[in-house]
Amino acid sequence: MDATTAMYVAQGIHGLAYGMVLFLLASGLTLIFGMMGILNMAHASFFMLSAYFCYQFQIWTGNFWLALLFAPVITGFFGILVERFLLRKVQRLGHIGQLILTAGLGLIILEGVKVIWGTESKPVLVPTYLQGLVNLAGMEYPVYRLFIIGISLILLIILSLILYKTRLGMVVRAAVSDADMVNALGINVPVVFMTVFGVGTWMAGVAGVVISPILTVFPGLADQVGMDAFIVVCVGGFGSIGGALLVSIICGLLNSYGVQFFSQLAPILIFIFMVVVLTIRPMGLFGERE
Amino acid sequence: MNKGFKWILWGILIVVLIVYPRLFGIYYTNILVEFGIFALYAISVNLLLGYTGLLTFGHAIFFGVGGYSTALALTHIQGLPLLASLLIGFLSAVLFALILCPMVVRLSGTAFAMLHLAFGLLMYVVTLKLRGITGGEDGIGGFPIPPFSIPGIVSIDMTDPLMFYYFAMIVLVICISFLWFFTKTPFGQIMVGIRDNADRIDYVGFKVSHSKALIYIFAGGFAGVAGSIFALFQNLVSADEFSVLNSFAPIMIIMVGGIASFFGPIFGAGIFALIAELTSRYTERVELVMGLILILVIMYAPMGFLGLVNMARARFFNKEGAS
Repeated sequence: MDATTAMYVAQGIHGLAYGMVLFLLASGLTLIFGMMGILNMAHASFFMLSAYFCYQFQIWTGNFWLALLFAPVITGFFGILVERFLLRKVQRLGHIGQLILTAGLGLIILEGVKVIWGTESKPVLVPTYLQGLVNLAGMEYPVYRLFIIGISLILLIILSLILYKTRLGMVVRAAVSDADMVNALGINVPVVFMTVFGVGTWMAGVAGVVISPILTVFPGLADQVGMDAFIVVCVGGFGSIGGALLVSIICGLLNSYGVQFFSQLAPILIFIFMVVVLTIRPMGLFGERE
Repeated sequence: MNKGFKWILWGILIVVLIVYPRLFGIYYTNILVEFGIFALYAISVNLLLGYTGLLTFGHAIFFGVGGYSTALALTHIQGLPLLASLLIGFLSAVLFALILCPMVVRLSGTAFAMLHLAFGLLMYVVTLKLRGITGGEDGIGGFPIPPFSIPGIVSIDMTDPLMFYYFAMIVLVICISFLWFFTKTPFGQIMVGIRDNADRIDYVGFKVSHSKALIYIFAGGFAGVAGSIFALFQNLVSADEFSVLNSFAPIMIIMVGGIASFFGPIFGAGIFALIAELTSRYTERVELVMGLILILVIMYAPMGFLGLVNMARARFFNKEGAS
């Protein structure tokens, strides 16, 4: 295997890892939007909050795994509180109300982390056996990226099993397509909403924790990754998990190969991709609703 | 309220605006200029949001284009008159709206909002990348501010903040009154019709997408004027003008002021200016306070400040809340 191929593969792994993190973030976003019609502007802020929780946990316990376990759970719990006590109250105002509310929440979280943790970037360390490179079939792979891909794949499989094979998943999918009807059938839709919101923020939390060793933890994290997640959701189609997966991976690869081939244009590529797709299909690649 | 009383109110307002700098000094005068700029900007967004029901996350495109084109024109064209530079800001924002409108007028709802978010981000990144033209992160600063002159009659130095205040206020008041009369025309009623029921407007015989395009161009052009004045006021333009936050600012202003009224955004801009000024005395975390206020407003006063006023009027005077 020559150096060029190795480079392509390495960039591919990087792109795939970033794409999978994007997927973790975007799947929660797209589920929440598909189900409740809420465009959660604070989703990326939850993601960042979880990264900060992870950093804090690591300072207290020195253990990455504990942080990976607890930080997303706390974030998810926080998300549930937000849904129960804030979002539910403004439901009657429709999209704009929820949007403003979550945007305000995003501002508060952004400023809150600056107050608590300061503005400089914080390092998160991973255990030594997740660092470095691993040799597989004559190729060297960065272990941590593989770890990210693995953990995201596991979550993806669990998520799709729950969504497509269980009764709860059936209720959720039904509520995505018609919440009123599901409510009329005697299912407590608000509780389902709350659960989905909690799970969505929990997944954002997992994404925040796994990406924090790569990007470090800083207040701009939400903007940087959150924008990409929004693009994924728009392009993939609101409410479509499959679309989110496909576009996440495309975005991840565009990002990593873009940096390699046209480094000047790299940040624009994703936006151009989005503009082109949305101009042709306003509802996104796999979206059914307008 | 009878007509005479209304004219007296307008008169008082104009007198207050004229004597304001003498009473409060230059610091508060500058705050008032900024308030006026954002009021115009928010009103132009409200043409889309409140009147036509189109939510946009990228109106900063036009604000930024207005600012940058004025700044670029003043940097590169020697001896450009002041009003011409404003006109260039306005026209280039209109041009941008013309370019975008074939793509966006067919959309509404989330797709419209998100496509604008994408265009806004695109502009932001392009502005950062095209260092040769836009100055990248540094922006364009220190361009000459020409005096306001009518040849042979008068020439007023615009680097004097007091004079600039009068100039900015006159332009802003003219623009805002123009938009006020614009919403009162029959065409203004079509806007509301499109918001409430686009299909019916179509059946009545008005072309929905053409009307939307026209509103879009107006909204874009006046946001361009706001951006243009902002550039002159700061003597600086930076890529931040294209930022998402700058697209959100007018939406927040509209929500806080009251979405259901033409004057809502003006009150909103005033409230925001006041809060920013008051909180910045006590804390650096202005955004934290803004976020809290947004949440409180949306939870307890979803129709904004004017909604509250109307509610209070309805309660205490036992009247129907006038819009």
